[in-house]
Amino acid sequence: MSEKIHGLPKAKIERNYLTWSLWMVPLAAAAVCVYFVLHDIVFGGPTITIYFQNADGLQAQNSMVKFRGINIGEIESLKLAKDGEFVAVRAKLGFPARNLARQGSIFWIVRPEVKLGSISGLRTIVSGNYITVQPGDGPRTNAFVGAEQPPLPPIPAIQLTLLTGNLDSLEPQSPIFYRGIQVGEVMGFHLSDDARDVVVEARIREDYAPLVRMNSQFWNAGGINFHAGLFSGIEISAESAETVVSGGMAFATPPDYGPPATNGAVFTLNEKEKDEWKTWNPAIQLHNVPEGKTIKTSLPQFNPR
Amino acid sequence: MDKVVACQTCGLVQEVGEVPKGCVIKCARCHFQIFHRNVDSRMRTLAFSIAAAILYFPSNFYPIVTAEYEGQYNQTTIFQGIKALWEHGQYFISGLVFCTSMFTPALKIAGLIFITLTLDWTRWKKARTYVFKTIRIIDPWNMLEVFLLAIGVSLVEMGEVATVHPGRGVLSFASVVVLTLLATFSFDPRLLWDPPEEKRIYE
Ligand SMILES: [Zn+2]
Repeated sequence: MSEKIHGLPKAKIERNYLTWSLWMVPLAAAAVCVYFVLHDIVFGGPTITIYFQNADGLQAQNSMVKFRGINIGEIESLKLAKDGEFVAVRAKLGFPARNLARQGSIFWIVRPEVKLGSISGLRTIVSGNYITVQPGDGPRTNAFVGAEQPPLPPIPAIQLTLLTGNLDSLEPQSPIFYRGIQVGEVMGFHLSDDARDVVVEARIREDYAPLVRMNSQFWNAGGINFHAGLFSGIEISAESAETVVSGGMAFATPPDYGPPATNGAVFTLNEKEKDEWKTWNPAIQLHNVPEGKTIKTSLPQFNPR
Repeated sequence: MDKVVACQTCGLVQEVGEVPKGCVIKCARCHFQIFHRNVDSRMRTLAFSIAAAILYFPSNFYPIVTAEYEGQYNQTTIFQGIKALWEHGQYFISGLVFCTSMFTPALKIAGLIFITLTLDWTRWKKARTYVFKTIRIIDPWNMLEVFLLAIGVSLVEMGEVATVHPGRGVLSFASVVVLTLLATFSFDPRLLWDPPEEKRIYE
C-alpha cells in the first residue's frame, strides 16, 4: 500500500521514555511529604509545659519564648491546669533550644514593669508579653513551674543570712554596698519562725567575698539620712540614688578583721550606721585565689535591671 | 495499519507505519511529536492528579505564612485564614476562599482520578461525563488560588514591619495549583467517548 503513494516521507517511530518518568512526579510529591514528617521528627524541638499562676498577656499561637533576645520557641496553647491553681502554658521549643528543656531552667514572663527604682520590659508594651528562660543544667524534663519574678542571674557568690527587726525599704534584688560599690544583692526575705525577726537572704559576689568577715557590720542604707545640726545646717545623705527608692544595705569591716565569712554565715542588720564604722579602713587582699584555680569572670550583666 | 497523517506543527503529510506500545511518532521534518489525541493523556492526568492529591494534605496542614514581630508570631494555615475571615463577619469572602482553595481543588483532583481510573469501564459512562462537566464548570474558579498566592506575596512585602516567611503550606499549595493545572491540560476529553479499541491506542 505504501508503494502506491510516491514521495511521502516516513514518520519516525521512537521509544517514549516520558511514560515511566512521569511517575517521578507523584513519587517526588510523596518524598516531599516524607521529608516534612521526618524533618519534624528529627529537628523538632521539645514541647514543654510551664505552669504559671498568672499567664496575663500571653496569647496562644501568638506569644513567643525568647532567650538572649532571639526567638527560640512558640506558645501553642494556654490551659487552666486540672486543679485550677495554675495555667499550663504549652510551648514548642525550636531544635537549637532543645537543651533549655532541662531541670533547673527557670522560665518567667517578661511584662512591662514600672516600679520604684526601675522601668523594665518596655519593649513588651509594643510587642506583647513573652516568656524568657534562664538555662539550667539538670536532666531533661518537659514540665516546669514558671517563676513569678525574674530570677537573679546565677553568679559565683557566697550566701549570707541577716537578721533585722524591720525590713524597711529592702526588697528582693536591693543592692549591697561596700564603700559605695555594689558587691551583692538581697535575694529574698521572710519572717523568722517566732516572728520576732526578719530573716534576709543575701549574696556577696565571690570576687568581693573576702571583704565580709565574721565581725563585719551591716546596716540598712535605704532612704535618706537627715542630719540636722545647730551649726552645720541640714545634711542629707544617701548611699546611692538607687537606695533612695529601692532600698539597700551596706557593710564595713573593722581593721582587726576576723576570719572570712563562710557560706550561710549569720549577721545582724543594724538600722543605722555608726560614725565609728566610717573610719574603718582595713587592707584586705581581694582575689585570694589558690594557685591552679582560675579566677571566674563574672557575667557582664551583674544586675539585670 | 499504515496511515497518512499531517504534522500538526509543520503540516508535512507523511506516512506512519505500525506503532508498537510505548512508542511515539515523530515528524520526519520537524521532529515534533505527532498525535491524534493528547499524548499519554490518561497516564499524565493520573500521575499529576495523584501527585496533587498527595500534596493536598501538607498544603492544608502546614501554615501558609509565618509572621514574626518582636515577641509575637503568627502562623496561619488556609483553614485558619478561612475561620478568621468567618469570625470577622466576612462570610462571603470566607466562603469564596473555602470553595476556591479547599473544596474545588479536592473535588477536581478526586474527579480526575475517578475519570482516569474508570475510563475502561463500559458502565458509569454518564457519571464520567457529569464529573467532567463539573470540572469544566469549577475550573475558572480555581484560578482564584493564584489570587490567594498573590495575597501571600503581598504579605511577604510587609517585611519591613514584621518578619514574614513562607511556610511549608505555601510550597505545597503552589504545587497543588500547578499539578491540577497540568492534570487538566493533559486530559483529553475525547477519551470520554472514544470507542474502547481506539482508547487503548491514544490513552
Ligand atoms: Zn512536522
